[in-house]
Amino acid sequence: MAGITLKGVTKTYGSQSVLNDINLDIADGEFLTLVGPSGCGKSTTLRIIAGLETQSTGDVFIDGSTVNETRPSKRDLAMVFQSYALYPHLTVHQNLITPLKLRDLTALERVPLFGHLMPERSKKMSTISAEVQKVAEILKIEPLLDRKPGQLSGGQRQRVALGRAMVRNPAAFLMDEPLSNLDASLRVHMRAELSELHRELKATFIYVTHDQAEALTMSDRIAVMMDGDLLQLGPPDEVYENPTDIRVAEFIGSPKMNILPASCDAKGSVDCLGQKIKITLTNNKKQSLSIGIRPEHLVLQSGAKSSFSGKLTYKENLGSDVFLHLDMGLGNQKVVIRTDPQDANSAKIGEKISFGANPNKYLVFDNDGKRIDAKRKGKD
Amino acid sequence: MQNSKVHFWFIAPALLLMFILLILPVIVAATLSMTDYSLGNSSFNWVGTDNYEKLFSRRSYAKMFSASLTYVLIVVPISVALGLGSALLISSLRIGNELYKAIFFLPVMATLLAMAIVWEFALNPIMGVVNDILRSGCDKRLIYGFFTGAWYGADPLQSWYGTACADRFPIWLGDKRYALGTIAFIGIWQGFGFNMVLYLAGLTSVPRELYQAAHMDGADSAWERFKLVTWPMLGPTHVFVITISSIRSFQVFDTVEALTEGGPSKSTYVMVYAMFEKGVRQNLLGIGSAITIVFLAFVLVLTLIQVYFVNRRVHY
Repeated sequence: MAGITLKGVTKTYGSQSVLNDINLDIADGEFLTLVGPSGCGKSTTLRIIAGLETQSTGDVFIDGSTVNETRPSKRDLAMVFQSYALYPHLTVHQNLITPLKLRDLTALERVPLFGHLMPERSKKMSTISAEVQKVAEILKIEPLLDRKPGQLSGGQRQRVALGRAMVRNPAAFLMDEPLSNLDASLRVHMRAELSELHRELKATFIYVTHDQAEALTMSDRIAVMMDGDLLQLGPPDEVYENPTDIRVAEFIGSPKMNILPASCDAKGSVDCLGQKIKITLTNNKKQSLSIGIRPEHLVLQSGAKSSFSGKLTYKENLGSDVFLHLDMGLGNQKVVIRTDPQDANSAKIGEKISFGANPNKYLVFDNDGKRIDAKRKGKD
Repeated sequence: MQNSKVHFWFIAPALLLMFILLILPVIVAATLSMTDYSLGNSSFNWVGTDNYEKLFSRRSYAKMFSASLTYVLIVVPISVALGLGSALLISSLRIGNELYKAIFFLPVMATLLAMAIVWEFALNPIMGVVNDILRSGCDKRLIYGFFTGAWYGADPLQSWYGTACADRFPIWLGDKRYALGTIAFIGIWQGFGFNMVLYLAGLTSVPRELYQAAHMDGADSAWERFKLVTWPMLGPTHVFVITISSIRSFQVFDTVEALTEGGPSKSTYVMVYAMFEKGVRQNLLGIGSAITIVFLAFVLVLTLIQVYFVNRRVHY
């Protein structure tokens, strides 16, 4: 078990920079998720930690000591790949045994036939078999041990890949989108299992995904990456409630956060779509702003109290919730409101819908997408 | 479907073509192999299995089988190993791999007959460039010492190079000890580029993630990764390459025809050349057809072995 630290890690391919100054401190036993859209550099970061790629500058520390010059197998990390990367010509048992054989047996002991003559071999092999048996029991893959990966289903392969990582009892598990090849219901199921496994093993997990739901449900902390930058690092709640960057705000949460254009004059009064918004900013100056508000913080209101209105274009019914998509003249961008199914019943497509917002929940971003602190002004 | 005969009409054209172009000639050859027919004769006599008995009893045909099998056993392992080795080296290159690919593939595309004439010049015992180069090493102490073993105290005249320097270098194509080896060398030179291309294609289909998994699992040396990932993942390619190489080696003809004509003393009398000599040159269609049928049997066995491996062993 070990903590992992990245200091000032950058990666460039030729003139193209894919990672800019990544600093990360991952505690021992933590479940950290690197999340971001594809091409944001999250997989590259993971592969730099694994040692499969070398950083252009910066240092990687495992357990306090630098591993810049250490080859992947000596870093004591295990990796689960998106494609599982099981050896297709070996049975499940042989797949699980391979990392242990490579680590524990000497080169001579691994020679076919001749290796069996080496005195220590049989003792080592029985320890290895016991390890494999133990892991197979934990993952409930004992009946599969004699099969080849080609005869397994996606979920079973996933377990075997996990098992191959677990047998070595590594300092940390690196997972590169391990669930994205599974079907939706199995993915949800495996999320829970992975979390449980993490609790049982108490090992450090570094998990890469582009699925923000996976990040929110499983992690102790989330690191949101975009365009090679680490934008925000924090517990799931904090990243969801308090995004520091408009890109984080838009990426985390489904459906997406509503972003409305707004402006602020020199006196600090904020105007959004022709409505005065009752918030004060910490820096009062004339500037254009974006205001973010999540669908669950918008409420249907009728009459004079309401602040906004728009034409209902689409009702997205999820059973437990209904999302109303409103056209507010913002081009392709629709404003989304979460409602109860009963409230949504009365709303008709094409009608004008009025709604208000919870003023405590406004998130204000400046022109560069950076978050500005805002306070609620007075009472409703 | 039970009463309808429509499906026969759909497959009839393919069946008909296959029968006319593939099966009928084999039947004709098999029939002819039981006769003493010569082209131009108006009639023939049935001779039963006489032709086959000749094939398996006469010394010249024993030499034919031995020449063909020796040729295959030399050419297949070496050209497969060279093809795999060069493919591995080329795929590990950052720059220049296209150039090497083109160079190694050149002999495959060249007309073998034209190349045979070039080799005939190069291997000429008196003016050939091969013996020129070998001869020029004789008076260079470094090279002479290395190849004769004089460096580590052996008697130079006991070695092949030492005796050749003292006497003369071999007549590559005119000496029955060397002729088949020389033809095989040309066969390897000509054929391994093809295997290389097949292996290069096979290598691109090995998933990168498997190599990364091998790295993580502790396969630190390139040899370990080759054993764990590359070699088994190339399974289907191995089967295909070995089968194709074997069949192509059995079919060797043009170098033999151009360089040795089956000689000296039948040392390069390979099967296809024998077919040509008996069936076409000497107009003995019966025995020529018998050789053809035996040859087909060899190829069929190779193909069946391939099918067996493809079906059970190497696909995951």
